[in-house]
Amino acid sequence: MEALLKVEKLTKRFEWVVANDAISFDIQKGEIHCLLGENGAGKSTLAECIYGYYQPDQGDIYFDGTKIDYRSPRDAIKSGIGMVHQHFVLVPPASVIENVIVGTAGAPFLLDFKGTEKKLKQLCQNYNVDLDPHTKIWDLSVGQQQWVEILKALYLDAKLLILDEPTAVLTPQESEQLFKILRKMTADGISIILITHKLNEVMQSDRVTVLRKGKRVDTVITKNYSKNELTNLMVGREVILDVKKDNLPLGASMLRLEGVNLRDEWNPHVLDDISFTVHKNEIIGIAGVAGNGQKELFEVLVGVTTPDTGKVFLDDEDITHMNPADIIKRGVGHIPQDRYLEGLLEEFSVADNLILGSQHDSCFKKGPFLDQSKIATYAEKCTAEYEILTPSIKTQVDHLSGGNAQKIILARELWQSSKVLLANRPTRGLDVGVIEYVHRQLLKKRSEGYAIILISEELEDLFNLTDRIVVMYKGKVMGDFKTEAAKIEEIGLLMAGK
Amino acid sequence: MIKLKFVKRTHNNLRWRILSFFIALVSSLLVSGLLMASVGQNAFEAFWALFEGAFMGQEAIMDTLLRATPLIFTGLATVVAFRARIWSIGQEGQLVMGAIFAYGASVIFSGLPSIVLIPLVIIAGFMGGALLGGFCGWLKYRFKVDEVISTVMLNYIVGYFLTYLLSGPWRSKGSYYLQTEEVVKHALYPVLMEEYQLHIGFLVAIVTTVFMYFLIRKTSLGYDIKALGMNPTAFRYKGANIPKMFVLVMMISGGVAALAGTGELLGVHGRLNMDISLGLGFTGIIVAMIGGLTSIGTFFAAFLFGGLVNGGYVMQVMTGVPLSMVYATQAIILLFFLCSSLLSKYRIKKVTDND
Repeated sequence: MEALLKVEKLTKRFEWVVANDAISFDIQKGEIHCLLGENGAGKSTLAECIYGYYQPDQGDIYFDGTKIDYRSPRDAIKSGIGMVHQHFVLVPPASVIENVIVGTAGAPFLLDFKGTEKKLKQLCQNYNVDLDPHTKIWDLSVGQQQWVEILKALYLDAKLLILDEPTAVLTPQESEQLFKILRKMTADGISIILITHKLNEVMQSDRVTVLRKGKRVDTVITKNYSKNELTNLMVGREVILDVKKDNLPLGASMLRLEGVNLRDEWNPHVLDDISFTVHKNEIIGIAGVAGNGQKELFEVLVGVTTPDTGKVFLDDEDITHMNPADIIKRGVGHIPQDRYLEGLLEEFSVADNLILGSQHDSCFKKGPFLDQSKIATYAEKCTAEYEILTPSIKTQVDHLSGGNAQKIILARELWQSSKVLLANRPTRGLDVGVIEYVHRQLLKKRSEGYAIILISEELEDLFNLTDRIVVMYKGKVMGDFKTEAAKIEEIGLLMAGK
Repeated sequence: MIKLKFVKRTHNNLRWRILSFFIALVSSLLVSGLLMASVGQNAFEAFWALFEGAFMGQEAIMDTLLRATPLIFTGLATVVAFRARIWSIGQEGQLVMGAIFAYGASVIFSGLPSIVLIPLVIIAGFMGGALLGGFCGWLKYRFKVDEVISTVMLNYIVGYFLTYLLSGPWRSKGSYYLQTEEVVKHALYPVLMEEYQLHIGFLVAIVTTVFMYFLIRKTSLGYDIKALGMNPTAFRYKGANIPKMFVLVMMISGGVAALAGTGELLGVHGRLNMDISLGLGFTGIIVAMIGGLTSIGTFFAAFLFGGLVNGGYVMQVMTGVPLSMVYATQAIILLFFLCSSLLSKYRIKKVTDND
């Protein structure tokens, strides 16, 4: 059968970095084809080359039999290629129909709202989606917004749809719904390229092309492979996917929240009557789509924000109104959601970032001066122990990869803390090897008696690592379960507020 | 047609930083020269007179250092604030406060001997600027008042306060000008060498430069200042008391700027008058920027600018080109410097078919 898309020896360079190295593969009509690879493997770059956003340095792309030379996505869209990115490009105060019409090539001066509305309603019906085209984007859930992005492509009669990490922001139910839609699309003859690093999704595809460090490793038929085998292809070596969690007796209560409420200018329920307890030797997982109060919860625990009502106790001491410096002194570590924005000083060295928070401690000072040799010794130790890849401890951290920058935060927080660890999506954007490493460290601290709260969007991680799972939705605790007894469907429903 | 684009460099390149500085210097001299030529002046003669007056001979150097001294202070004041990304434009007012407080102290403690009086007066001057600066820091923390607005407005307020003092309670009896009595002789800064005007204020400036260098580079407070400027969000998560930092940095900055005023009072004018500043605060900002916001860089940039002013006086006398030409040149240097410092951050590349 003639392939819909054929990529031959595509090479794309950025300066001296070879993002795509002579990659060849093809897409058949009506298949779901996964691009699997770690961060930095070249999946997004490859997709952007197909979509016309980048122009390849070498190689050819054939779409529907014709050789293509797209100068911009506009050309790709005209040919019938659509793409949905991780960060949506919708205009929130505008309606669905307005978002679809905007930027459509060849739109007449007097926009044809009636015609567009008809076509949109038909598409929604076809795919079993209940959506009024006049709804404003900011009234839609994330899952619905994503559907609007897909609608944009379908409206323009896309034959090939590229999705970049589509389920990163969806609940399990929404993911299921998405894949139902994708299957219907393929039945209608539309091909789908799915960029993902989530093995659960990969297993739902027809074929997988595995990329590693810019090169294509192999293209395989999904059902002939196991998750472990695919991970091995992706990473290049044996990787243990499931870390072992020890059975430990529950320790004393360490961190306790009682009726914590927080509001801000726009939202009266940023945190809504939050109460739960974390014990020593325990990891609590917080499940929920990002933006439901998880980050603000940590800000209260760290002391950056004070709750409007309610109390927080650390080891039976009331820390509700305590400032971050004092809370840190009491042994609380925090791995923030956004490593550069909230956890690192970009132009400072590795060593200087490792002492952030302890720069006034006597162990690093000689009188009023910083003791550079003591700092260097400590930094070298951290770098070795946590295998932080850096030319030197004096290197600026913005020259390091995301994984290594994260390791700096990890090393620092694990060294500075002694009782509690607050980890907010600590493995986001990291390679499988580093993820494995972070998980091992979390479990190690759990055995040492830490009380740990882990916020994560990867339900698989929560089920593997935690003793209890708390679900948050719109600032409220929707459920508090023992992990062994928890069911993924139930959690998924609670994440969506049901 | 060849198209060019900018590509960010991966490492801070010292070679290019120095090179870009010289490119700026040369370009601005060229443009200043054109400016002079456009009004019929001989640029070569003028620049030569300026250069001679600024740097050739012992007297020239001494006078250049004299002019550089207040700029070292206002420049360093800018460095400490700007490193924390606190955009203080209050050096002018803090300088005047330094002079006011120094004069007041010299009168109050006039009974004390020099050896005690002079350090006391210096401390008083510092405190004047520190209080003013600290007040702006407090306004930012308490009322979220933008520091650019508060410092600039206080410059005016302090200026009017000075006018009030000089026309009212502190006015020299029988004097036509708005000025105070002369400062008592034993409170004045002694000169370093008999024949020249250069006073110990210059030594105070050297000490301050060294102090700033160590403070910013080597202490934990310096770490905090730089961290505050780099990423206040992450810094706050890791325990920083941001409001306290605002006030502290502004107090240090204000106090250092005030030392410029103290020096002008005790080393140059000998009495408090309306001319105590004339833009030394604002020039300090330019000096600090050209010095790359470092203590040592500021010291040398101040020397350069001091030379421009000193040489400018000579140029005016010898060739008739007005002193304001120097101020124009200072501004032109800054503009070219800002453009050329782009070269140290970015490379220029040809746009190829790949992009």
